[in-house]
Amino acid sequence: MMEPRTGDRVRCATGIDGLDTILYGGIPTDNTVILTGSCGTGKTSLALEFLIHGALNNENSLFISVTENSEKLLANIIPYRFFDKDLLKSGKLVFVDLPAMYDRLGMTKAELSMEEIDLLVASISSLVRELNTKRLVIDSITSVCYKLKTPEKIRDFVLKLSKALSDLRCTSILVSEVAPHSNAYSLFGVEEAIADGIMLMSNLERRGDLLRTLQVIKMRGTMHSRAKYVLDLTPVGVLLVPLLKGGSAGT
Amino acid sequence: MSDANTPQGIAAQLSELSPGSAVSLQMSVDSYLEVMRGVLDIFARKKDMDTIYVTATISFEAIKRVLDALDIDTSRMYFVDCISHIMMGTTAAQKDEHASLVESPTMLENIMLKVEYLIRMSPSKNKLVVLDSINSLSIHNNNWILSEFLHILVSGLRAKDAYTIILSVEEHSTPEIVNLVNLVCDQVIRIGKPGD
Ligand SMILES: Nc1ncnc2c1ncn2[C@@H]1O[C@H](COP(=O)(O)OP(=O)(O)OP(=O)(O)O)[C@@H](O)[C@H]1O
Ligand SMILES: [Mg+2]
Repeated sequence: MMEPRTGDRVRCATGIDGLDTILYGGIPTDNTVILTGSCGTGKTSLALEFLIHGALNNENSLFISVTENSEKLLANIIPYRFFDKDLLKSGKLVFVDLPAMYDRLGMTKAELSMEEIDLLVASISSLVRELNTKRLVIDSITSVCYKLKTPEKIRDFVLKLSKALSDLRCTSILVSEVAPHSNAYSLFGVEEAIADGIMLMSNLERRGDLLRTLQVIKMRGTMHSRAKYVLDLTPVGVLLVPLLKGGSAGT
Repeated sequence: MSDANTPQGIAAQLSELSPGSAVSLQMSVDSYLEVMRGVLDIFARKKDMDTIYVTATISFEAIKRVLDALDIDTSRMYFVDCISHIMMGTTAAQKDEHASLVESPTMLENIMLKVEYLIRMSPSKNKLVVLDSINSLSIHNNNWILSEFLHILVSGLRAKDAYTIILSVEEHSTPEIVNLVNLVCDQVIRIGKPGD
Protein backbone atom coordinates (compact mmCIF):
# COMPACT_ATOMS: atom_id res chain seq x y z
CA MET A 1 0.00 0.00 0.00
CA MET A 2 2.91 2.36 -0.62
CA GLU A 3 1.96 3.31 -4.15
CA PRO A 4 1.35 6.96 -4.84
CA ARG A 5 -2.31 7.86 -5.17
CA THR A 6 -1.91 9.87 -8.33
CA GLY A 7 -4.93 8.59 -10.16
CA ASP A 8 -2.59 6.81 -12.54
CA ARG A 9 -3.10 3.42 -10.95
CA VAL A 10 -3.38 0.42 -13.22
CA ARG A 11 -7.05 -0.40 -13.74
CA CYS A 12 -9.00 -3.57 -13.60
CA ALA A 13 -11.68 -2.75 -16.16
CA THR A 14 -14.93 -4.27 -14.95
CA GLY A 15 -16.04 -4.77 -18.55
CA ILE A 16 -19.32 -3.06 -17.69
CA ASP A 17 -19.08 0.03 -19.91
CA GLY A 18 -21.12 2.38 -17.80
CA LEU A 19 -19.33 1.40 -14.62
CA ASP A 20 -15.89 1.76 -16.18
CA THR A 21 -16.88 5.25 -17.27
CA ILE A 22 -18.01 6.10 -13.73
CA LEU A 23 -14.66 4.81 -12.44
CA TYR A 24 -12.53 6.57 -15.05
CA GLY A 25 -11.45 3.25 -16.51
CA GLY A 26 -12.09 0.63 -13.87
CA ILE A 27 -11.34 -0.46 -10.33
CA PRO A 28 -7.72 0.32 -9.41
CA THR A 29 -6.05 -3.10 -9.36
CA ASP A 30 -5.58 -4.84 -6.00
CA ASN A 31 -8.43 -2.85 -4.46
CA THR A 32 -10.93 -4.59 -2.24
CA VAL A 33 -14.35 -3.17 -2.97
CA ILE A 34 -17.58 -3.58 -1.06
CA LEU A 35 -20.59 -4.00 -3.34
CA THR A 36 -23.53 -3.29 -1.12
CA GLY A 37 -27.29 -3.09 -1.40
CA SER A 38 -30.54 -4.52 -0.20
CA CYS A 39 -31.91 -7.79 -1.55
CA GLY A 40 -32.68 -8.09 -5.23
CA THR A 41 -30.83 -4.96 -6.30
CA GLY A 42 -28.53 -6.85 -8.70
CA LYS A 43 -25.36 -7.34 -6.66
CA THR A 44 -24.78 -10.95 -7.64
CA SER A 45 -25.46 -10.23 -11.32
CA LEU A 46 -23.01 -7.34 -11.41
CA ALA A 47 -20.34 -9.29 -9.54
CA LEU A 48 -20.70 -12.26 -11.89
CA GLU A 49 -20.41 -10.02 -14.90
CA PHE A 50 -17.20 -8.54 -13.50
CA LEU A 51 -15.76 -12.05 -13.28
CA ILE A 52 -16.93 -13.19 -16.71
CA HIS A 53 -15.36 -10.18 -18.41
CA GLY A 54 -12.16 -10.85 -16.49
CA ALA A 55 -12.13 -14.49 -17.53
CA LEU A 56 -12.81 -13.56 -21.15
CA ASN A 57 -9.86 -11.21 -20.85
CA ASN A 58 -7.69 -14.11 -19.74
CA GLU A 59 -7.64 -13.15 -16.05
CA ASN A 60 -8.34 -16.04 -13.72
CA SER A 61 -11.54 -15.34 -11.87
CA LEU A 62 -12.92 -16.90 -8.71
CA PHE A 63 -16.39 -16.76 -7.22
CA ILE A 64 -16.65 -17.80 -3.59
CA SER A 65 -20.27 -18.43 -2.86
CA VAL A 66 -21.54 -18.37 0.68
CA THR A 67 -25.29 -18.21 0.30
CA GLU A 68 -26.30 -19.83 -2.99
CA ASN A 69 -24.85 -22.99 -4.47
CA SER A 70 -22.84 -22.73 -7.65
CA GLU A 71 -25.36 -24.57 -9.77
CA LYS A 72 -28.06 -22.06 -9.06
CA LEU A 73 -25.64 -19.26 -9.89
CA LEU A 74 -24.73 -20.87 -13.17
CA ALA A 75 -28.36 -20.91 -14.13
CA ASN A 76 -28.26 -17.13 -13.69
CA ILE A 77 -25.32 -16.47 -15.94
CA ILE A 78 -26.05 -18.81 -18.80
CA PRO A 79 -28.52 -16.31 -20.34
CA TYR A 80 -25.69 -13.79 -20.64
CA ARG A 81 -24.86 -13.30 -24.27
CA PHE A 82 -21.16 -12.95 -23.58
CA PHE A 83 -20.90 -16.02 -21.37
CA ASP A 84 -18.84 -18.88 -22.74
CA LYS A 85 -19.06 -22.33 -21.13
CA ASP A 86 -15.44 -22.97 -22.01
CA LEU A 87 -14.44 -20.49 -19.32
CA LEU A 88 -15.51 -23.09 -16.76
CA LYS A 89 -13.77 -25.98 -18.49
CA SER A 90 -10.53 -24.09 -18.89
CA GLY A 91 -10.62 -23.01 -15.25
CA LYS A 92 -10.62 -19.30 -16.12
CA LEU A 93 -13.81 -19.00 -14.10
CA VAL A 94 -14.00 -21.06 -10.92
CA PHE A 95 -16.83 -21.41 -8.40
CA VAL A 96 -16.17 -22.49 -4.84
CA ASP A 97 -18.79 -22.99 -2.15
CA LEU A 98 -17.62 -21.61 1.17
CA PRO A 99 -19.75 -23.96 3.30
CA ALA A 100 -17.78 -26.85 1.78
CA MET A 101 -14.59 -25.06 2.76
CA TYR A 102 -15.85 -24.61 6.33
CA ASP A 103 -16.47 -28.36 6.48
CA ARG A 104 -13.05 -29.19 5.15
CA LEU A 105 -11.45 -26.91 7.70
CA GLY A 106 -13.59 -28.36 10.48
CA MET A 107 -15.25 -25.03 11.22
CA THR A 108 -18.49 -26.44 12.47
CA LYS A 109 -19.29 -24.05 15.29
CA ALA A 110 -21.65 -21.15 14.85
CA GLU A 111 -19.00 -18.66 15.84
CA LEU A 112 -15.44 -18.67 14.54
CA SER A 113 -12.51 -18.14 16.91
CA MET A 114 -9.63 -15.75 16.20
CA GLU A 115 -7.49 -18.75 15.16
CA GLU A 116 -10.18 -19.93 12.80
CA ILE A 117 -10.36 -16.49 11.23
CA ASP A 118 -6.66 -16.68 10.49
CA LEU A 119 -7.11 -20.15 9.08
CA LEU A 120 -9.99 -18.99 6.86
CA VAL A 121 -7.98 -16.04 5.51
CA ALA A 122 -5.01 -18.36 4.92
CA SER A 123 -7.20 -20.86 3.06
CA ILE A 124 -8.75 -18.25 0.82
CA SER A 125 -5.31 -16.76 0.16
CA SER A 126 -3.78 -20.09 -0.75
CA LEU A 127 -6.67 -20.81 -3.08
CA VAL A 128 -6.13 -17.45 -4.76
CA ARG A 129 -2.41 -18.15 -5.00
CA GLU A 130 -2.90 -21.65 -6.38
CA LEU A 131 -5.39 -20.55 -8.99
CA ASN A 132 -3.46 -17.36 -9.73
CA THR A 133 -6.71 -15.49 -9.27
CA LYS A 134 -6.78 -11.91 -10.54
CA ARG A 135 -10.45 -11.23 -9.81
CA LEU A 136 -12.31 -12.47 -6.78
CA VAL A 137 -15.88 -12.17 -5.61
CA ILE A 138 -17.14 -13.28 -2.20
CA ASP A 139 -20.94 -13.35 -2.14
CA SER A 140 -21.62 -12.44 0.50
CA ILE A 141 -19.18 -11.19 3.09
CA THR A 142 -22.17 -10.49 5.32
CA SER A 143 -22.86 -14.20 5.62
CA VAL A 144 -19.28 -14.75 6.73
CA CYS A 145 -19.60 -11.90 9.22
CA TYR A 146 -22.59 -13.60 10.82
CA LYS A 147 -20.16 -16.28 11.93
CA LEU A 148 -17.84 -13.70 13.44
CA LYS A 149 -20.38 -11.92 15.60
CA THR A 150 -18.26 -9.16 17.17
CA PRO A 151 -17.11 -5.96 15.40
CA GLU A 152 -13.54 -6.69 16.54
CA LYS A 153 -13.50 -10.05 14.80
CA ILE A 154 -15.11 -8.66 11.68
CA ARG A 155 -12.58 -5.85 11.53
CA ASP A 156 -9.76 -8.34 12.01
CA PHE A 157 -11.09 -10.65 9.29
CA VAL A 158 -11.77 -7.98 6.68
CA LEU A 159 -8.44 -6.25 7.30
CA LYS A 160 -6.43 -9.45 7.03
CA LEU A 161 -8.36 -10.66 4.02
CA SER A 162 -8.06 -7.44 2.04
CA LYS A 163 -4.36 -7.16 2.88
CA ALA A 164 -3.75 -10.75 1.76
CA LEU A 165 -5.72 -10.31 -1.48
CA SER A 166 -4.02 -7.03 -2.26
CA ASP A 167 -0.59 -8.61 -1.68
CA LEU A 168 -1.57 -11.34 -4.12
CA ARG A 169 -2.47 -8.63 -6.70
CA CYS A 170 -6.06 -9.70 -6.74
CA THR A 171 -8.87 -7.20 -7.35
CA SER A 172 -11.80 -8.19 -5.17
CA ILE A 173 -15.47 -7.48 -4.77
CA LEU A 174 -17.01 -8.34 -1.43
CA VAL A 175 -20.78 -8.41 -1.63
CA SER A 176 -22.50 -6.93 1.38
CA GLU A 177 -26.17 -7.10 2.27
CA VAL A 178 -28.00 -4.30 4.01
CA ALA A 179 -31.60 -3.67 4.97
CA PRO A 180 -33.58 -1.64 2.39
CA HIS A 181 -33.66 1.66 4.24
CA SER A 182 -30.43 1.38 6.14
CA ASN A 183 -28.03 4.31 6.04
CA ALA A 184 -25.02 2.06 6.55
CA TYR A 185 -23.12 0.29 3.80
CA SER A 186 -22.71 -2.88 5.80
CA LEU A 187 -24.69 -4.67 8.44
CA PHE A 188 -22.00 -4.30 11.07
CA GLY A 189 -20.65 -0.93 9.96
CA VAL A 190 -17.11 -2.25 10.02
CA GLU A 191 -16.36 -3.58 6.52
CA GLU A 192 -17.11 -0.28 4.81
CA ALA A 193 -14.43 1.64 6.70
CA ILE A 194 -11.73 -0.85 5.77
CA ALA A 195 -12.59 -1.41 2.12
CA ASP A 196 -10.86 0.57 -0.64
CA GLY A 197 -14.14 1.16 -2.36
CA ILE A 198 -17.88 1.13 -1.85
CA MET A 199 -20.42 0.68 -4.62
CA LEU A 200 -24.03 0.99 -3.55
CA MET A 201 -26.98 -0.56 -5.37
CA SER A 202 -30.46 0.46 -4.34
CA ASN A 203 -34.06 0.96 -5.29
CA LEU A 204 -35.12 4.55 -5.70
CA GLU A 205 -38.72 5.60 -5.56
CA ARG A 206 -39.54 8.66 -7.58
CA ARG A 207 -43.14 9.78 -7.67
CA GLY A 208 -44.40 6.22 -7.60
CA ASP A 209 -41.82 4.76 -9.99
CA LEU A 210 -39.25 2.33 -8.69
CA LEU A 211 -35.82 2.61 -10.31
CA ARG A 212 -32.75 0.45 -9.71
CA THR A 213 -29.73 2.61 -9.02
CA LEU A 214 -25.98 2.33 -8.61
CA GLN A 215 -23.67 4.85 -7.00
CA VAL A 216 -19.95 4.72 -6.29
CA ILE A 217 -19.52 6.11 -2.78
CA LYS A 218 -15.76 5.79 -2.56
CA MET A 219 -12.91 4.31 -4.54
CA ARG A 220 -9.35 4.74 -3.39
CA GLY A 221 -6.77 5.35 -6.07
CA THR A 222 -8.99 7.01 -8.63
CA MET A 223 -11.37 9.82 -9.31
CA HIS A 224 -14.92 8.72 -9.87
CA SER A 225 -18.38 10.03 -10.46
CA ARG A 226 -20.39 10.33 -7.28
CA ALA A 227 -23.69 10.63 -9.10
CA LYS A 228 -26.51 8.11 -9.05
CA TYR A 229 -27.06 6.00 -12.16
CA VAL A 230 -30.10 4.00 -13.13
CA LEU A 231 -29.42 0.45 -14.19
CA ASP A 232 -31.03 -2.43 -15.99
CA LEU A 233 -30.05 -6.09 -15.83
CA THR A 234 -30.15 -7.49 -19.35
CA PRO A 235 -28.82 -10.45 -21.32
CA VAL A 236 -26.01 -8.15 -22.54
CA GLY A 237 -25.19 -7.35 -18.93
CA VAL A 238 -25.66 -4.37 -16.67
CA LEU A 239 -26.58 -1.19 -18.55
CA LEU A 240 -26.34 2.21 -16.90
CA VAL A 241 -27.62 5.73 -17.58
CA PRO A 242 -27.41 8.83 -15.40
CA LEU A 243 -30.34 9.45 -13.09
CA LEU A 244 -32.19 12.47 -14.46
CA LYS A 245 -32.39 15.33 -12.03
CA GLY A 246 -35.06 17.43 -13.71
CA GLY A 247 -37.74 15.63 -11.71
CA SER A 248 -36.40 16.92 -8.42
CA ALA A 249 -36.79 20.47 -9.69
CA GLY A 250 -40.49 19.82 -9.29
CA THR A 251 -43.40 20.73 -11.50
CA MET B 1 -49.05 18.86 -51.61
CA SER B 2 -45.49 19.97 -52.22
CA ASP B 3 -42.83 17.40 -53.01
CA ALA B 4 -41.14 17.73 -49.64
CA ASN B 5 -44.30 16.55 -47.88
CA THR B 6 -44.59 13.25 -49.72
CA PRO B 7 -43.03 10.10 -48.25
CA GLN B 8 -40.37 10.24 -50.98
CA GLY B 9 -39.68 13.86 -50.17
CA ILE B 10 -39.36 13.16 -46.44
CA ALA B 11 -37.01 10.25 -47.08
CA ALA B 12 -34.94 12.33 -49.50
CA GLN B 13 -34.40 15.06 -46.90
CA LEU B 14 -33.39 12.49 -44.28
CA SER B 15 -31.07 10.71 -46.67
CA GLU B 16 -28.91 13.78 -47.01
CA LEU B 17 -27.98 13.59 -43.33
CA SER B 18 -25.00 11.66 -42.07
CA PRO B 19 -25.26 8.87 -39.48
CA GLY B 20 -25.38 10.25 -35.95
CA SER B 21 -27.68 13.09 -36.96
CA ALA B 22 -30.61 14.09 -34.82
CA VAL B 23 -33.69 15.42 -36.54
CA SER B 24 -36.62 17.33 -35.16
CA LEU B 25 -39.49 16.27 -37.34
CA GLN B 26 -42.48 18.56 -36.89
CA MET B 27 -45.64 17.38 -38.49
CA SER B 28 -49.33 17.96 -38.45
CA VAL B 29 -51.64 15.21 -37.23
CA ASP B 30 -52.74 14.53 -40.80
CA SER B 31 -49.22 13.82 -42.04
CA TYR B 32 -48.64 10.84 -39.72
CA LEU B 33 -49.05 8.19 -42.39
CA GLU B 34 -46.81 9.98 -44.90
CA VAL B 35 -44.18 10.37 -42.22
CA MET B 36 -44.39 6.68 -41.29
CA ARG B 37 -43.94 5.64 -44.88
CA GLY B 38 -41.17 8.12 -45.53
CA VAL B 39 -39.20 7.33 -42.36
CA LEU B 40 -39.84 3.65 -41.65
CA ASP B 41 -40.29 2.32 -45.13
CA ILE B 42 -38.28 4.35 -47.61
CA PHE B 43 -35.52 5.89 -45.45
CA ALA B 44 -34.83 2.92 -43.13
CA ARG B 45 -34.83 0.49 -46.03
CA LYS B 46 -32.60 2.64 -48.19
CA LYS B 47 -30.00 2.80 -45.42
CA ASP B 48 -30.46 -0.88 -44.55
CA MET B 49 -31.20 -0.07 -40.91
CA ASP B 50 -32.89 -1.66 -37.95
CA THR B 51 -35.35 0.74 -36.40
CA ILE B 52 -35.99 1.25 -32.71
CA TYR B 53 -39.36 2.87 -32.33
CA VAL B 54 -40.15 4.45 -28.98
CA THR B 55 -43.86 4.95 -28.55
CA ALA B 56 -45.47 7.01 -25.85
CA THR B 57 -48.58 7.66 -27.90
CA ILE B 58 -50.33 4.39 -28.71
CA SER B 59 -49.41 0.78 -27.97
CA PHE B 60 -46.82 -0.88 -30.15
CA GLU B 61 -49.47 -3.36 -31.22
CA ALA B 62 -51.64 -0.55 -32.55
CA ILE B 63 -48.68 0.92 -34.44
CA LYS B 64 -47.87 -2.47 -35.89
CA ARG B 65 -51.45 -2.76 -37.12
CA VAL B 66 -51.16 0.64 -38.81
CA LEU B 67 -47.90 -0.33 -40.46
CA ASP B 68 -49.29 -3.68 -41.57
CA ALA B 69 -52.20 -1.87 -43.13
CA LEU B 70 -49.76 0.37 -44.98
CA ASP B 71 -47.90 -2.75 -46.04
CA ILE B 72 -44.73 -1.59 -44.31
CA ASP B 73 -42.39 -4.37 -43.28
CA THR B 74 -41.92 -4.47 -39.47
CA SER B 75 -39.49 -7.39 -39.30
CA ARG B 76 -36.58 -5.04 -38.64
CA MET B 77 -38.42 -2.86 -36.18
CA TYR B 78 -38.07 -3.04 -32.42
CA PHE B 79 -40.47 -1.22 -30.12
CA VAL B 80 -39.99 0.44 -26.79
CA ASP B 81 -43.52 0.80 -25.57
CA CYS B 82 -43.99 3.07 -22.58
CA ILE B 83 -47.73 3.43 -22.74
CA SER B 84 -49.27 -0.06 -22.82
CA HIS B 85 -48.38 -0.76 -19.24
CA ILE B 86 -50.22 2.20 -17.82
CA MET B 87 -53.11 1.85 -20.23
CA MET B 88 -54.00 -1.78 -19.75
CA GLY B 89 -51.50 -3.43 -17.45
CA THR B 90 -49.13 -6.16 -18.50
CA THR B 91 -50.17 -8.12 -21.56
CA ALA B 92 -48.74 -10.75 -23.81
CA ALA B 93 -46.71 -7.94 -25.34
CA GLN B 94 -43.94 -8.64 -22.88
CA LYS B 95 -43.28 -11.90 -24.62
CA ASP B 96 -42.91 -10.28 -28.02
CA GLU B 97 -39.27 -10.39 -29.04
CA HIS B 98 -39.68 -7.13 -30.87
CA ALA B 99 -41.11 -5.17 -27.98
CA SER B 100 -39.81 -4.00 -24.64
CA LEU B 101 -42.26 -2.49 -22.25
CA VAL B 102 -41.36 0.40 -20.00
CA GLU B 103 -43.68 0.60 -17.02
CA SER B 104 -44.45 4.26 -17.36
CA PRO B 105 -43.58 7.19 -19.63
CA THR B 106 -42.19 8.91 -16.54
CA MET B 107 -39.42 6.32 -16.36
CA LEU B 108 -37.31 8.17 -18.90
CA GLU B 109 -34.12 6.49 -17.74
CA ASN B 110 -35.65 3.12 -18.47
CA ILE B 111 -36.56 4.28 -21.96
CA MET B 112 -32.89 5.13 -22.52
CA LEU B 113 -31.85 1.76 -21.10
CA LYS B 114 -34.19 -0.17 -23.42
CA VAL B 115 -32.98 1.82 -26.41
CA GLU B 116 -29.40 1.11 -25.40
CA TYR B 117 -30.19 -2.58 -25.04
CA LEU B 118 -31.84 -2.81 -28.45
CA ILE B 119 -28.98 -0.90 -30.07
CA ARG B 120 -26.55 -3.42 -28.64
CA MET B 121 -28.66 -6.34 -29.81
CA SER B 122 -29.03 -5.02 -33.33
CA PRO B 123 -26.61 -6.50 -35.81
CA SER B 124 -27.20 -3.83 -38.46
CA LYS B 125 -24.48 -1.29 -39.03
CA ASN B 126 -26.73 1.73 -39.22
CA LYS B 127 -29.52 2.25 -36.75
CA LEU B 128 -32.50 4.50 -36.54
CA VAL B 129 -34.26 5.59 -33.36
CA VAL B 130 -37.68 7.22 -33.65
CA LEU B 131 -39.28 8.95 -30.71
CA ASP B 132 -43.08 9.19 -31.04
CA SER B 133 -43.66 11.73 -29.74
CA ILE B 134 -42.23 14.47 -27.59
CA ASN B 135 -45.76 15.77 -27.03
CA SER B 136 -46.91 12.47 -25.55
CA LEU B 137 -43.90 12.40 -23.25
CA SER B 138 -44.61 15.97 -22.22
CA ILE B 139 -48.01 14.98 -20.88
CA HIS B 140 -46.22 12.89 -18.27
CA ASN B 141 -42.99 14.81 -17.70
CA ASN B 142 -41.99 18.38 -17.02
CA ASN B 143 -39.84 20.28 -19.51
CA TRP B 144 -36.71 20.27 -17.34
CA ILE B 145 -36.53 16.52 -17.13
CA LEU B 146 -37.53 16.14 -20.79
CA SER B 147 -34.74 18.41 -21.90
CA GLU B 148 -32.23 16.53 -19.81
CA PHE B 149 -33.56 13.26 -21.21
CA LEU B 150 -33.28 14.41 -24.82
CA HIS B 151 -29.81 15.73 -24.25
CA ILE B 152 -28.47 12.46 -22.81
CA LEU B 153 -30.39 10.29 -25.26
CA VAL B 154 -29.30 12.21 -28.35
CA SER B 155 -25.66 12.56 -27.35
CA GLY B 156 -25.51 8.84 -26.60
CA LEU B 157 -27.04 7.94 -29.95
CA ARG B 158 -24.84 10.41 -31.78
CA ALA B 159 -21.79 8.71 -30.29
CA LYS B 160 -23.11 5.41 -31.63
CA ASP B 161 -23.72 6.89 -35.08
CA ALA B 162 -27.43 6.17 -34.90
CA TYR B 163 -29.97 8.45 -36.52
CA THR B 164 -32.45 9.98 -34.09
CA ILE B 165 -35.78 11.32 -35.25
CA ILE B 166 -37.90 13.11 -32.69
CA LEU B 167 -41.49 13.55 -33.74
CA SER B 168 -43.55 16.48 -32.63
CA VAL B 169 -47.13 17.14 -33.53
CA GLU B 170 -47.78 20.77 -34.30
CA GLU B 171 -51.34 20.78 -33.04
CA HIS B 172 -50.18 19.54 -29.61
CA SER B 173 -46.98 21.52 -29.32
CA THR B 174 -45.96 24.62 -27.46
CA PRO B 175 -43.07 26.92 -28.34
CA GLU B 176 -41.17 25.62 -25.29
CA ILE B 177 -41.42 22.04 -26.44
CA VAL B 178 -40.40 22.90 -29.98
CA ASN B 179 -37.43 24.76 -28.53
CA LEU B 180 -36.21 22.03 -26.29
CA VAL B 181 -36.31 19.54 -29.14
CA ASN B 182 -34.65 21.85 -31.64
CA LEU B 183 -31.90 22.56 -29.13
CA VAL B 184 -30.60 18.97 -29.29
CA CYS B 185 -31.21 18.43 -33.00
CA ASP B 186 -28.97 19.15 -35.99
CA GLN B 187 -31.84 19.56 -38.38
CA VAL B 188 -35.45 20.62 -38.30
CA ILE B 189 -37.83 19.21 -40.89
CA ARG B 190 -41.38 20.49 -41.09
CA ILE B 191 -44.01 18.41 -42.76
CA GLY B 192 -46.84 20.85 -43.12
CA LYS B 193 -50.31 20.81 -44.48
CA PRO B 194 -50.55 21.75 -48.12
CA GLY B 195 -50.01 25.47 -48.58
CA ASP B 196 -48.22 25.76 -45.25
N1 LIG C 1 -29.60 -10.63 -16.81
C1 LIG C 1 -30.75 -10.39 -16.19
N2 LIG C 1 -31.82 -10.00 -16.89
C2 LIG C 1 -32.99 -9.76 -16.29
N3 LIG C 1 -33.19 -9.87 -14.98
C3 LIG C 1 -32.17 -10.26 -14.20
C4 LIG C 1 -30.90 -10.53 -14.77
N4 LIG C 1 -30.06 -10.88 -13.77
C5 LIG C 1 -30.80 -10.82 -12.65
N5 LIG C 1 -32.06 -10.45 -12.90
C6 LIG C 1 -33.13 -10.30 -11.90
O1 LIG C 1 -32.76 -9.33 -10.95
C7 LIG C 1 -33.00 -9.77 -9.65
C8 LIG C 1 -31.87 -9.43 -8.72
O2 LIG C 1 -30.66 -9.95 -9.17
P1 LIG C 1 -29.49 -10.41 -8.20
O3 LIG C 1 -29.72 -11.78 -7.71
O4 LIG C 1 -28.24 -10.15 -8.93
O5 LIG C 1 -29.62 -9.39 -6.98
P2 LIG C 1 -28.93 -9.47 -5.56
O6 LIG C 1 -28.75 -8.08 -5.11
O7 LIG C 1 -27.74 -10.34 -5.60
O8 LIG C 1 -30.06 -10.16 -4.70
P3 LIG C 1 -29.93 -10.96 -3.31
O9 LIG C 1 -29.93 -9.94 -2.24
O10 LIG C 1 -31.19 -11.75 -3.30
O11 LIG C 1 -28.70 -11.77 -3.36
C9 LIG C 1 -33.24 -11.25 -9.73
O12 LIG C 1 -34.47 -11.50 -9.12
C10 LIG C 1 -33.29 -11.59 -11.18
O13 LIG C 1 -34.53 -12.15 -11.52
MG1 LIG D 1 -27.20 -12.07 -4.50
